[in-house]
Amino acid sequence: MAYRWGMAVDIDKCTGCEACVVACHAENNIPTVSAQQASRGRAMHWIRVERYYEGNFPDVKVKFRPVLCQQCDNAPCEAVCPTYAAHHNEDGLNAQVYNRCIGTRYCANACTYNVRFFNFFNPEWPKPLHLQLNPDVSVREVGVMEKCTFCVQRIKAAKTAAKAENKTVADGTLQPACAQACPTSAIVFGDLNDPNSRVARLATSPRGSKLLEDLGAEPKITYLAKQPWHEQDSY
Amino acid sequence: MDRRHFIRLTAISGTTAALTACGNPENQLIRFIPEEELVPGLATYKPSICPACSAGCGVIARVMEGDAEVFRTGQAGVIKMGLAKKLEGNPEDAISQGKLCARGQASIQITYHPDRLDRPKKRSGERGSGHYTDITWEEAIKELTGRLNELAAANDQASLAYLTKPRHNRRLELIASVLQKFGATAPVTYEFFSDDVLRRANAISFGSHQLPTFDLEHARYVISFGADFLGTWNSAVAHSAAYGRMRQGGPGARPKFVHVDARLTQTAANADEFVACRPGTEGLLALAMAGDETADRAAEVTGVPVATVQRLAKEFAAHGPSVAIIGGAPLAHTNGAFHAAAVNRLNEVAKTINQPGGVSFASHGAFIATRPLSAIIDAVPTVLLVDDVNPVFASPAAWKVEDAFKRVPYIVSFGQFIDETSVLADLILPDHSFLESWVDAIPESGSAKAAPSKCGPVMRPLYDTRSTPDVLLEVSRRLATPLAGLPASFEEYLNREGAASGSPAARSPQPAARPTWTEPSFDGEAAQYPFHFMPYASAQFHDGSLAHLPWLQELPDPMTSGMWCSWVEINERKAEELGIHQGDIIEVTSTQGSLRAPAFLNPGIAPDAVAIPVGQGHTNFTRYASNRGVNPISILAPVIVGDTGALAWSATRVKIAKVGDAQTYDSLILFAGATRERPEWAHGRGDEH
Repeated sequence: MAYRWGMAVDIDKCTGCEACVVACHAENNIPTVSAQQASRGRAMHWIRVERYYEGNFPDVKVKFRPVLCQQCDNAPCEAVCPTYAAHHNEDGLNAQVYNRCIGTRYCANACTYNVRFFNFFNPEWPKPLHLQLNPDVSVREVGVMEKCTFCVQRIKAAKTAAKAENKTVADGTLQPACAQACPTSAIVFGDLNDPNSRVARLATSPRGSKLLEDLGAEPKITYLAKQPWHEQDSY
Repeated sequence: MDRRHFIRLTAISGTTAALTACGNPENQLIRFIPEEELVPGLATYKPSICPACSAGCGVIARVMEGDAEVFRTGQAGVIKMGLAKKLEGNPEDAISQGKLCARGQASIQITYHPDRLDRPKKRSGERGSGHYTDITWEEAIKELTGRLNELAAANDQASLAYLTKPRHNRRLELIASVLQKFGATAPVTYEFFSDDVLRRANAISFGSHQLPTFDLEHARYVISFGADFLGTWNSAVAHSAAYGRMRQGGPGARPKFVHVDARLTQTAANADEFVACRPGTEGLLALAMAGDETADRAAEVTGVPVATVQRLAKEFAAHGPSVAIIGGAPLAHTNGAFHAAAVNRLNEVAKTINQPGGVSFASHGAFIATRPLSAIIDAVPTVLLVDDVNPVFASPAAWKVEDAFKRVPYIVSFGQFIDETSVLADLILPDHSFLESWVDAIPESGSAKAAPSKCGPVMRPLYDTRSTPDVLLEVSRRLATPLAGLPASFEEYLNREGAASGSPAARSPQPAARPTWTEPSFDGEAAQYPFHFMPYASAQFHDGSLAHLPWLQELPDPMTSGMWCSWVEINERKAEELGIHQGDIIEVTSTQGSLRAPAFLNPGIAPDAVAIPVGQGHTNFTRYASNRGVNPISILAPVIVGDTGALAWSATRVKIAKVGDAQTYDSLILFAGATRERPEWAHGRGDEH
C-alpha cells in the first residue's frame, strides 16, 4: 500500500524554543535574506512558531503553535498553479517542482496557511557558508516558490533503503529535520496509512484538531490541544 | 598495486610538472585523492560536542564529501575533503538525548563563517583599529615564547593571566596546569549570565558547588522562580526533553507547572499558572511555601495575593513529588543569595533532594580553581591571553573593562573572530573550530549520572589555525626553561586517564538555617527611574556570543518574532497610557547611560518593568552582528549581589521616553509569515507604494 505521510504536533509539549526552525534551515538550504529584506517580509522560514497571547499582565497566557505546510489533501495551492509546479505526489505530499515554477505566486496567495515563500532574488551564501549546503536538496533560484517538503529527500532515502531490503519504512525510523531536533519530541511524523503508526493513532486523538479545518483544505497535520491542569488529576 | 595507489602515482607523475608553476603541487594533488572513508553522495556521522553554551550537549555531525577552498601552511588551494553538513543531537549522549536547540543547530555556521580568522595575525595599527598583518605560526609562537621568556627572566610569571569562559572540561584543566607549571596565577573566567550565586548557595545548602539537575520526568508539581530552564538556562535541552516526557501523561495524570516572574518568558509561557511577583522578592514566596514565613507577610512583600500563596503552598505539599527551581533574574538582585537559599530550603522541606522527581547533583570532576574578572581589572597583568570570551561587550560600561585591557602591555587572543575584545589583541592565534579539534565536556548538570564525553575532529581544518591547548603545549616546550610533565598534545591528554568523573563533594548533614529576608536595593531612585530594567538571555544569541551567526540573526524571537534587531518590551496597557505605539523609538535611560530601540508592546511584562534582550549591540563582531541593535548590558549599574561579587544585572532602574515615531524599515523587524510586504502595524506610517 502507498504511504501517506502525516504529522502530529503536540501543542502541550511545544515550548516555542524554535529548534525546529534552525534545523529546517540547515537541512533544506533555506537562505537568510538580510535585515533589510526581512523588514520587507521576505524572510523565509518553512516552519515558524506562532504565538497567541491571551489577556494582559498578570493574567496572561501564551500558546505556541509551529506552523508549516499542512500538506493538504484538497490543497488550494495546487488548483491555481498554471504550470503544475505545485502538485500532489503519490505519497500524498504537496510537491513543488522548482523547474516548472514560473513565479506567478498564485499558490502563495491561495495558501490558507501563509507557508509558501517566494525567492525575490538569488540566494547568497558568502563563502565558505556554502560548504554547509545539503547536497541532497536543490538550491532555489530567483523567481521560484518554495515551501516545506516534509524533508522529501529523507523520505526518498528511507523508501529506497527499505525497498532494497524488500521492506516498508518502519514507523519511527524516518523523521524530518524539525521532528528530529525538537527537544520535547512535540512533533511526530509517520505514515497515516499504517493504522499502527504513532501519527495515525494521534490523528484520531480526542485532543486533535486541524488548523482552520472548516476551510476544507483537508490538512494532514493534527494539532493536539494544550490541556488544563485539574487539581484532582494529581491525586 | 591497488587502484587508489595507481591513481595517486599517475596523478603525481602526470601533473606535477604542470602544477608546480601555479602553486603548491601538494595542495593540488590532494584534490585527486579523497579521504579514505568518503564515498561521494553518502553521508558518514561523527560525534562532537556543541560549543554554544556550557551545557555540553553531545552532537553528531553529518559529514559528506565536498570541494573546499582551503588555506593551509601558507598555501591556498581547492581540496576534496569531508565537510560537516548538519548537527543533530547524539542519541547516545545523556545530556542532548538526540535533541538539539536552535543555537546548537546554528553552531555549525561558526566553522563556515565568512569572517572567520584563517591565519595568525600581528597588530600593525593602533590598538583597537583592527589593522593586522599576517604572520606565520613559526613567527607567532616565537613572539609569544619571547614574551613569556621575558616574564620568566624578570621572575614575574605571576603577571601572566589567562581569561576564558567558565567551562567544565579537561581543556580548562590542561590550561590551568600549564599556567601553574609556568608559575602564573589561576585562569580567570567570565560569563555574563553567571550562575555563581546559585552554585554558592547550593554549596551552603547541599554541599554541592554546582548547578542542579531536575528530574522533571517524574515530578508531579514544578514551580520555577524565574528560571528559563526550557530556553536559555542550565542544561536547556536535557530539561526540555524531560519536560516533554512530563507532559506525556494523558487525562488524570497531568503534572502542574507554575512559573513565578515579573515577565512572561519563553519558559513561563509554558506554565499552567503564571504568578506575577515583584522583582527581588521571589524568595519570600518560596519561604512562605516552605512554612518558614507567614502567607500574609509574603503576600504583602511579593504582591502575590494571600489566597494564592496559601494555595501554592498547599498544592506543592500535596502533589509530590514536587520540585522548586530558581535561576536567572531573581538571583541577579542584590539579595540573590537569599532567593537561592529560600528555594533550596523549600526543596529541603519537601524532601526533594536526590529523590525521583526532585533535585540532584551529578558527579563530575573536581572544579578547577579560577579567579573572577575583577582580578585582572584591579591588577592589570603584563601579558593577557584571551580565549574565546568577550568581556568588553558583555560587561557594564561602568566596569571600564576596555580601559583596563588597553592598559595591558601585551594581549594575545585565541579567538576565531574579531570581536570587541580580540580587536585589542597584539597577537591573534586563531583556534580551530570545534568541528576541527579534539573537544571534551564534563557536564555539570542535565543528567543525574556523570556524563563526561570527548570527541576527535569531525573534519580536517579549513585554514591555517591551530588548536589552542596544542599551541600552549608547543609554547611551553619552547620556553627558555621548558615546562616538564606536560603531555605532547591535547589529544594525548584527553586519552590519558584523568579526573573526568570525580565523586561529588560530601553533602552537609544538617539542614541549613532558615534564610533571613533582606530587602533588594536598586540603582536609581524609583521616583526618577520608575521602571525595573530586565535584560534577559535571548533565545537566539544567549549572552551575545552567537550574534555573528546569520541563521540566529534571522530566527524570529519566540515571544516577539523579532529578527535582526533589538526592541524594548513594554506592557501593552502601560504603553497605551504613555501614548507609545508598536515600533515607536524609545529612549531607555539608567544612571549609567541611555539606549534607543523600537518599542514592542508586550502583554506579558509587568507595567513597572521594561526588558531588552541581550545579544545585539555589537560594535565589532563580523558583518552580521556589527552595529545592529543595542546592548542592554552597557547601561547596567555596577551593583553587586551581596557577598558574592557577581553582577546584580536585575538591580538597575530606568526611565523611558518616546523619541520618535515607528519607522517602517530597519527598525522593529517582525516575522509574520510568508511574503507579507508590510508589517501590519506599519500601515499608514512611513512610505507608501
